[in-house]
Amino acid sequence: MTKRSYAILFLSLVSLLVSQSGCGAPAAGGRLVYGLTLSPSGIDPHINASSELGIPLTSVYDTLVYYDPATQNFVPGLAKRWEVSDGALVYTFYLRQDVTFHDDTPFNAEAVRFNLERITSPDLASQKARFMLGPYERTEVVDEYTARIYLSEPFAPLLDALSQVYLGMASPAAVEKWGDEYQLHQVGTGPFTFAEYVPGDRLLLRRNPDYDWGPSLYEHDAAQVDEIEFRFFTDPATRSPALETGEADVMGEIPPQDAARLETNDDFRVEAVAPPGVPLMFLLNTTRAPLDDISVRQALLYATDRSAIASAVFHDTSPAAYGPLTAGTLGYDPAVQGYYAHDPARAAALLEEAGWTDSDGDGLRDREGEPLMLDLYLMGWGYMPEVGQLLAAQWMELGIGVNSQIVSYPEALEVGGEGRHHLMPFSLSSSDPDLLRKFFHSQATFNWAKVNDPELDAWLEEAARASDHTQRAVLYSSVQQRVMEQALIIPIRDYVNLNGVSNHVEGLRFDGRGWFPWLIDVTVKAQ
Amino acid sequence: MARSRCASLYIGRYMGQRLLQAAFVLWLASTLVFFALLLTPGDPAQALLAASGATPEEVIERRAQLGLDDPLPLQYTRYLMDLARGDLGYSWLHGRSVRHMILEQLPPTAELAVAATAVGVVLGLGLGVLAAVYRSTWLDAAATTVAVLGLSTPTYWSGLLAILFFSLRLRWLPSVGEGGLRHLVLPSLVLGFALSGSIARMVRSRVAEVMGTPFVLAARARGIPSRRVIFIHVLRAAVGPALAVTALQFGFLLGGAVVTESVFARPGLGRLAVEAIIWQDLPVVRGVALVGALAYVLVNLASDLAQAWLDPRLRALA
Repeated sequence: MTKRSYAILFLSLVSLLVSQSGCGAPAAGGRLVYGLTLSPSGIDPHINASSELGIPLTSVYDTLVYYDPATQNFVPGLAKRWEVSDGALVYTFYLRQDVTFHDDTPFNAEAVRFNLERITSPDLASQKARFMLGPYERTEVVDEYTARIYLSEPFAPLLDALSQVYLGMASPAAVEKWGDEYQLHQVGTGPFTFAEYVPGDRLLLRRNPDYDWGPSLYEHDAAQVDEIEFRFFTDPATRSPALETGEADVMGEIPPQDAARLETNDDFRVEAVAPPGVPLMFLLNTTRAPLDDISVRQALLYATDRSAIASAVFHDTSPAAYGPLTAGTLGYDPAVQGYYAHDPARAAALLEEAGWTDSDGDGLRDREGEPLMLDLYLMGWGYMPEVGQLLAAQWMELGIGVNSQIVSYPEALEVGGEGRHHLMPFSLSSSDPDLLRKFFHSQATFNWAKVNDPELDAWLEEAARASDHTQRAVLYSSVQQRVMEQALIIPIRDYVNLNGVSNHVEGLRFDGRGWFPWLIDVTVKAQ
Repeated sequence: MARSRCASLYIGRYMGQRLLQAAFVLWLASTLVFFALLLTPGDPAQALLAASGATPEEVIERRAQLGLDDPLPLQYTRYLMDLARGDLGYSWLHGRSVRHMILEQLPPTAELAVAATAVGVVLGLGLGVLAAVYRSTWLDAAATTVAVLGLSTPTYWSGLLAILFFSLRLRWLPSVGEGGLRHLVLPSLVLGFALSGSIARMVRSRVAEVMGTPFVLAARARGIPSRRVIFIHVLRAAVGPALAVTALQFGFLLGGAVVTESVFARPGLGRLAVEAIIWQDLPVVRGVALVGALAYVLVNLASDLAQAWLDPRLRALA
C-alpha cells in the first residue's frame, strides 16, 4: 500500500470510531443506566453483606414485609398479614396466594421455610442475613400459605430484618438448580427479573410483566422502564463525568466537590439521601491513658470544630453529627445536640485541670514528662484520612499531638480488638437502632471505646428484646445520653449519599434505609 | 542430518530446563504468596463478619470452617495438593469457585494487556528510534520528553484527562465499561503511553550504541542507504532488549492493571485482586497471584525463544 492509502485507511478507521459515538445515551422507550460505586463483593443477598448489592436486588426480590419510612411502621409485602405471639417468640405470616417466581415456581410457605433454612445453614456461610435473624430457631409450614417463625428469645429487630433484601425470597427451584453459581442466575418475585450479570462489568435487570403484587409503598403495579443496566464506578473521580457524558443516568456517591458543580448544570440534579445508622464518629479508647481520664476525652470533644470539617471536607453537603445515631434514625434523641459545642477555651481549661500543660514550651502539652500524643488509626475510605488530618490540625492548636496511621479494615479490627489505639473512626448504616449494640455493649465487635458499663449493656439488651416502640425509644435515649456524657465518641457527620440524577429520570425514591431505590416507579423521559 | 539431530537435542534439553525452571518459579511464587498472606495483620473471618453482628463464638466457628485454625503445615500441604489438582478453592467472600472467577476476569485483562502492549511497542519503538537517529537535536529532546512523560505520568491522572478530553469534551469515545473495540481505545492508549516510556528509553540507548559499532559503519561505508541500515541492521540489534522489557511489562499487565481498570470501570484481574486483598479473601489472592506468575513465566519463555531466534549468535548456540 502507498502512504496515501495508509492515511485513508487510518482516517476511515477514526471516522468509524467517531461516527459510532453517542450510542451510550439511553434510548427512548425506557432504558436506565444506573451507576454503582463498587463492584459488589459477591451479590447473593443471603450470603453477601454489601449495601451495594441491595440497590439492584431490592427490585429483583420481594420481602415478607416492608418498612414505610413515612409512618415508621411495617406494611404487608409477600405476607398479607402477620401475628406475633404473646411472648414475642412466634411470628405467624399469612402469605399472598397469587405470587410466582420469575421461573414460574409458585411462592408459598414452603418457599419461606426453604429460604430461611438456606440462610441459616452453616454450609452457606452467610456474612449478614444469618445474623440479621438473631435468635431464629426454625420455620414451620402450617399450611400452603401460612408460615410460622420460631425464635429462642424475643428479638425486636426481626420485622426490620424481614423487610430487607438480605432476607428476600428466592426461588427454591433456581437455588437448587444453580448451586454455587446461583448468584449469577438469581430468581425472585420482584418487579424486575435478573437478566444478566457479568461480574465487574454490568448487571442487567428486565421488567417483570406479570408483577402486580407489590406493597402499597410502590406507586405503580409494574415497572415503568423495560431495562435497567447497572455499571460499576469504583473511581470516585469518574462518576460525575460518566453522568455528564450520558453513560449513566443515575450515579450514587458523587464526591461532594463534584456534586456542587453538577448542581449548577440544568441537565442534572443531586438527590441527597441520608441513610439511618451510626454517623462517622471517632471512638475513644477509655482504657488507654490518657483517654482513661474523662476530662481529656471531653477536652477532645470541645476542641473539635465539626462545622469546619463539614465545610472543608464535605462542602456542607452533610450535617454535623452530635451523638451515636444519625438524625434520621429511629430512636434518635435530639438532646445529644446539647453536648460539647466547639469551645477551645474550655478544652484548654479541662486539660490544664487534668495536669496537662506545655511545661517545656515545645508546643505539645505534657504531664510528668509524658507528651500528650494520641495514636489515631484510620482506614483509607469514607473520607477518614481527610477528617483525621483536620482533627489533628485543630487539636495541635491546643497542644494535643496526633500520630496517624492508615490501616486496612481487617487490621483496624485487630487494633480495635486489642485496644492499641487511642482513637479510631467508623460509621455504619442500619435502619434499626439495635445497631448501637454493636458499638457500646461490652462484648461488641466495634467496642473500640472499650466501654464496660453494666447499665449500658442492660439497656441495649433490653431494647433488643422489647417490642414496644416507646419503651425502646426511652432505652435508646438513655444509651445515647450516656455515650455522650461519658465522652465515648467524637461524632463528626451524618452520612449523606449524594446521588447524581439526569433530569430525564423521574420518580427515583429510596426506601427507609436510604440506600435502596424503588426502581419500579422510575420513568425515563424520551429524549 | 547429524547436525540437525544434534541441534534438536540441544533445543530439547534447553526447553526441558526452561520448563523445570518455570515449575520451580511457580512453586516458589505460590509458596511466597501463601506465607506472605499469613503475615498480613487481621483475621479474615472477623473481617467478613464484624459488621453483621455475629457473636464472637460465631466468628470462631467461621474461622474453623475456613480451615484457618488448622496447623500451618496442614494448611500448606492442603493448598499445594489442591493446586496440583488444579483446584484453586472457593472464594470466602463470594462463595464461588476461584477458577471460575479468574476465567471470567481473564479475557478483559488479556485484551487490555495485548492492546496496551501493542500501543506501547509502536510508540516506544518510534520514539526511541527517532531520538537515537536524531541524537542531540530538538527531535531527540522532544521524543525523550514524551518518553519521560509516559514513564512518570500516573495512569489515574492521564486516564482521567483522557476521559475529560475525548469523552466529555469531544464526545468521541465512551469513557467506561467493556465490550468492543471502542471501549478499548482510551484505556489501551493511556496504559500503552505509560509503557512506551521505558521501551523508548531502552530502544534509544541501544540504537545509539549499535549505530556506533563497526558493522554499521561498515555497512554505511559500503554505501547502503542509511534508512536501510537503520531498519535492517540497527533495529534488529535493538529489538532484542526492547523485547525483554516489553515481555516483563506484558507479564505484569496480565496480572491486571488495577488503576486503569478502575478509572475506566473495566472488569479485570486487577480489581478482583484488590477486592480480595482488602477482604483477605485468601483463596482469590492466591489464585490471582498464581495467574500473574504463570503469565510472567510464559511470556518470558516466549521472549527468550524469540530473542534466540532473532539473534544469530544465540541461534548458533542452539
